[in-house]
Amino acid sequence: MALITVSLLAVGTTRDTGPLTQGDRIDAITKRVACPTCDGESVFVSRASAAEAIRKQVAREVAAGEKTDTEIIGSIAQSFNAKILLVPRATGLDSLVWVLPIAVLVCAVAGLAMAFRKWRRQNTAGATGDDFALVNKLLADGVGVDPTDDENV
Amino acid sequence: MFGVGGIGGPLGRASLIVGLVAAVFGMFAAISGTRSNDARVLRLVPRFAYLACAGAIGAFVAMEIALINRDFTLEYVQKVGSKSTPALYNFTAIWSALEGSILLWVLTLTGLSVGVVVKYRKKMNDPMVGWAMATMFFVTIFFFLLTLGPANPFVLGAPGVFDGPGPNPLLQNHVLVVFHPPILYLGYVGMTVPFAFAMGALITGRVGEGWLVETRRWALISWGFLTLGIILGSWWSYEVLGWSGVWAWDPVENASFIPWLTATAYIHSVLVQERRGMLRVWNLSLLVATFSLTILGTFLTRSGILNSVHAFSDSDIGPFLLSFFALIVVVSVGLIGWRGDQLRSPGTIDSPLSREGAFLANNVVFSVFAFVVLLGTVFPLVVEALQDRQLVVGEPFFDKLAVPTGLVLLFLMCVAPVLPWRKASGELLQQRLFWPAWAGIAALAFSVVLGATGFASLLTFTLGGFAGGAALRQLVLATRRQGWRGFVGRANGGMVVHIGVILIAVALAASNSYTHSQELSLKKGVVANYGGHTFELIGFRETTDDRRTEIAALVSIDGGQAYAPAVSKYKAMGMNIGTPSVKTSFAYDLYLTLEPPVKVTSDAAKIKVFIKPMVMWLWIGGGLMGLGTLLSAFPGRRRRPTDPTSARVPEAVDA
Repeated sequence: MALITVSLLAVGTTRDTGPLTQGDRIDAITKRVACPTCDGESVFVSRASAAEAIRKQVAREVAAGEKTDTEIIGSIAQSFNAKILLVPRATGLDSLVWVLPIAVLVCAVAGLAMAFRKWRRQNTAGATGDDFALVNKLLADGVGVDPTDDENV
Repeated sequence: MFGVGGIGGPLGRASLIVGLVAAVFGMFAAISGTRSNDARVLRLVPRFAYLACAGAIGAFVAMEIALINRDFTLEYVQKVGSKSTPALYNFTAIWSALEGSILLWVLTLTGLSVGVVVKYRKKMNDPMVGWAMATMFFVTIFFFLLTLGPANPFVLGAPGVFDGPGPNPLLQNHVLVVFHPPILYLGYVGMTVPFAFAMGALITGRVGEGWLVETRRWALISWGFLTLGIILGSWWSYEVLGWSGVWAWDPVENASFIPWLTATAYIHSVLVQERRGMLRVWNLSLLVATFSLTILGTFLTRSGILNSVHAFSDSDIGPFLLSFFALIVVVSVGLIGWRGDQLRSPGTIDSPLSREGAFLANNVVFSVFAFVVLLGTVFPLVVEALQDRQLVVGEPFFDKLAVPTGLVLLFLMCVAPVLPWRKASGELLQQRLFWPAWAGIAALAFSVVLGATGFASLLTFTLGGFAGGAALRQLVLATRRQGWRGFVGRANGGMVVHIGVILIAVALAASNSYTHSQELSLKKGVVANYGGHTFELIGFRETTDDRRTEIAALVSIDGGQAYAPAVSKYKAMGMNIGTPSVKTSFAYDLYLTLEPPVKVTSDAAKIKVFIKPMVMWLWIGGGLMGLGTLLSAFPGRRRRPTDPTSARVPEAVDA
């Protein structure tokens, strides 16, 4: 099962996706740039005239075929003093937006692991005589299935 | 005091005062009646709830009268009213700006209070119900005060105004404006009820499972409305905004999504408390978080502190909402701390490989997800406050973190439905996961055959098939045992919700990963080809009324029906609004937008064509989530603890 899955994933991820149309490239670039006059929208989303102007600039540069996507974004960011990048940088204060989610996730998983460890320690006491009596009664009543299994209900 | 003008203003102001007074008296009646156990006083509580609701209805009707009569003596009507707005959008103009939306909040809240007193009319002397009603009244008082203070919709406007601009053009462009805001508010405001009962439980010290049982349907149905509201908002965005997407991680979208995440965590973890008596503090915290996040979200998006396409203009409402948020958090945390001893859970979770273990993992992921979305939403404020520079945190950031989170949640949906309570053996899991796992592989093989690429998308399809298999397995087993009742109850209805979520995840992965677009310059009589379809410009259609001039390009697709992407110029605001035209099918949508410049007199037009796979499955998935919520709200079969829980084996029947 695992072999089939890995093989299929390998086929799907490594095969050639074909050339992007100019429209696709323009969309991909404008999704990474914020509209300078809008309220947090990307140039791709915004219908404002400033966004329209940037879309046209991107379309011209894509049509010229001389720059990579990153270079086009870099030139736009330069003309707007990098204010319009939609992804915060991974340096300085901005890096907190990347670091904090990971830190919170690590803390949450560690907390969960500690809780399970504590519960496991508490559960080492073993069954009491009352527990055995209860199980024997249920078995005597003809119940052969784990009653705590909530499947189908 | 009432000034000149129509009846709307005076009626509205009077109604708000009546509502406020009723809520104040209601709160005191609930508190004093509960403390003294005085049945006569407690009998007054429902009456004050009805009166507060009547006040809210009166204010709402008064504003509608003012809008319908174009009573431009009111500042709010000057802002959102217009003589040229059609009747439908004139009606919905009430929730198109801050003051009216708070009025809708008050109406929903007082309506819910009436719902609570009707449901618990025979239990009004129960202290928990009494304190819950006191909490409901307290929240109601706050919102009535907003409508009489910083968000007063009945303030008199400047004299000599005889017309207005009407609502934002985007709010008078599609019929979904009628449904999306009220449904979203039913979910958003509905979270007040379980919060109020949580407060009731903490104050009375009855922190066992009783209050959960009382409020689980309120929480579930509110969650269902919030889900539907969010889906309808996405649909609206798709049909109206013209950028072909359904979700932009806009602050207002995030403000509804964050409480949805914590509420989703709650409706899962509450099952652990009901079943095992555990996670009491955690469940209370999730409810408090959900309710307080609705207030924080409203503060972020309605105070003008954060900008968004949805956000209303700057107002003085911010400090009030922020103070209220702080009060809720402080009081709730204080009460939870006060009842700390009673909240200690008696049991333990035996194994991570159990139903409750999976719910805990689900809760961790949902909570971290909520934190990530909140952080991304408020981070620009932090940077501006600390470094006095502006920063945008946009879609690429959220997508980067949402995709792996979504994949983990899909994985949990594969495994959790087959896990028993307490502990699962490897052998049991192997047996129960066998067919669902093959369903996942089949989904992967099918997508590879269809030409799908990209690791994240392929993994989504695989896990989607796996999780869908797990949900269907549960439904098949349940219906084999119980017939049609195998679809109802929390576990089974929940599986229908899961199937809806899976469809949405798969559709989002497909539409985000495999959308293609191209601008086409069309000329009359010349057929253009793109994506295996032909596009031909038939002509233009220009319509003008008092409100706007709309120019639509009529484009025939594949020689058939003409679709009409349009651009409308709204005269009062001077705004150009594009309206897309969509040819929908189960496989993919053809989404057309008309690009500038547009000249009716020419014989050419530039359109943009998006080919978007599987978009219809987003709406089908949303519908299934709604249906599943309804099925979950129905009582399932009450199982006796000693009943066998597996389907009968056919051989045994024969024997």
